[in-house]
Amino acid sequence: MEEINSINEIDWTDMLTVIVPMLVIQAILLIAAIIDLIRIERTNGPKWAWALVIVFINIIGPIIYFIFGRRND
Amino acid sequence: MQWWTLFQKELIENVRNIKWIWVPLVMILLAIVDPLTNYFLPQIIDAAGGMPDGTEIQLPEYQPSDVVMMSLGQFNSLGVLVIALMSMGTIAGERKSGVAELILVKPVSYTNYITAKWASLSLLTLTSITLGMIASWYYINLLFGDLSFGALLQVVFFYGLWILLVVSISIFYNTLFKIPGLVAFLTFATVILMGVITSIFAHVLEWSPNNISNYIQQMLVTGSVPSDLIGASLVTLIMIVLLVGGSVFIFKTKDMAE
Amino acid sequence: MLSGLLKPTSGTISFTDMKENRDIRKSIGYLPQHPVFYKWMTGQEFLVHVGRLAHLSKSEATKRAKKLLERIGLTDAANQRIGKYSGGMKQRLGIAQAMIHQPKLLILDEPVSSLDPIGRREVLTLMEELKEDITLLFSTHILGDADEVSDELLLLHEGRIIESGSMEALREKYQIAKIELSFDGNLRDYQKKVEALSAVTACYTDQSRLHVTVEDMAEARRHILAAASAEEWPLTSFSINRASLEDMFMKAVNS
Repeated sequence: MEEINSINEIDWTDMLTVIVPMLVIQAILLIAAIIDLIRIERTNGPKWAWALVIVFINIIGPIIYFIFGRRND
Repeated sequence: MQWWTLFQKELIENVRNIKWIWVPLVMILLAIVDPLTNYFLPQIIDAAGGMPDGTEIQLPEYQPSDVVMMSLGQFNSLGVLVIALMSMGTIAGERKSGVAELILVKPVSYTNYITAKWASLSLLTLTSITLGMIASWYYINLLFGDLSFGALLQVVFFYGLWILLVVSISIFYNTLFKIPGLVAFLTFATVILMGVITSIFAHVLEWSPNNISNYIQQMLVTGSVPSDLIGASLVTLIMIVLLVGGSVFIFKTKDMAE
Repeated sequence: MLSGLLKPTSGTISFTDMKENRDIRKSIGYLPQHPVFYKWMTGQEFLVHVGRLAHLSKSEATKRAKKLLERIGLTDAANQRIGKYSGGMKQRLGIAQAMIHQPKLLILDEPVSSLDPIGRREVLTLMEELKEDITLLFSTHILGDADEVSDELLLLHEGRIIESGSMEALREKYQIAKIELSFDGNLRDYQKKVEALSAVTACYTDQSRLHVTVEDMAEARRHILAAASAEEWPLTSFSINRASLEDMFMKAVNS
């Protein structure tokens, strides 16, 4: 029992230094995509569909929005 | 003067279409995804219910150089794809939409037009790749072992050359075709094809640009720059110059209105 | 081709005071039929950008941009993104960007064909003003527009110039020799009398007028007016037809 507890403790310190930066990056991508979607005039395809893509597809969603959703000419 | 105007316009455009936010972030994610999953693999297996009793889990001990290769591996596939997609419209799109018509009837030097676009794309991708490698370096020192900052700079320098080649290929296709999707496809396909040819004719094409990442690993393991890396870098540099020069030449001889 | 977008198969373009091998694009302003801009820029930013591309200094480009925006009536929209502009606004911005480097020749490709009546009027008025200062070369399918603003004319048919010259000279050349008369009273009574006059080739009537086709305008006019005053015809109007551009075009194409 004791051994398992100590493993769990190590996990939590890892979380802070390892997982948090990753989560921060994900969050910035997500927020940037949402703000951009609100401000942009037109997207390729309906806006609401892109909103779903951005919010529900983890990490990849915002990226495919930036590549395929934006109309910038 | 005029070059600077064009370059500035590209920078402002890429700030406003927030490429300067998402491309670096994507490259950082690509650089750290494999190191992190490999590090947490034992715990992921545990969380998934563990292996059946009696199975010995043999996980390799990763050296810092292995982890650098994980990051570069992601850049080589998805990273190249992102660069191809992100740069596909830089000239092709302007010609397709018709803006190029307004810009090029002004006394704009075609050399300036092409090289400013190339430089701005290069700056964006190099910055992104560098930030990605710094993130990877952070995790290497945290989780896997020591990698000196000097070694990191060497990696970024040599790998940066390869990335510039990818940008140059994209610029080249951008001047040839005005369908952005086609440009992205050809850029990606060319890089893949170069890799295939390099592995088929491995004994002749020792200095192929596609070998740069392999030589980088060699450099990290041995601690000195292999001569083949210098050779491959020179070949890469020459190809970049030829591609950019070729792009300018094509652009000059082409009828812009068609 | 003139604007440097296409390579000529033969021939060259030169201006009276142009040095050898100078980039002709410096002397030319060009507006394509459907101008496309960087939508993410504001009108002001776009003008400054193209101005600087034409080798103006930053302050000079800014000054010219302000002036042009005022002239084309877009001062209020100067800091709006071009993506939000209407068709007429874009066309006017298009003219402004073509003029930013003070070209000697302004080439406009169908400048008004895609505009609504208000936008058309705006642009035509602007062109009317501009032609005081610089040479305007514009193409159009709407002959009425050409009639309104042009001084000189080139008629193109199937890729060839079929007629060219000043508006006045062309009018003279293609004047359709026709006189229209109207009377108080029965037209038919006078039809015979007019037909009998020398220099008159044919004569027909419609509801209210007598149409007279003549061989020699000056002579026919003299005869008709002489007869009219001698016999005291109850003439209410006498007019010599001015050929419209459309008549000219049809005649030139047919010949």
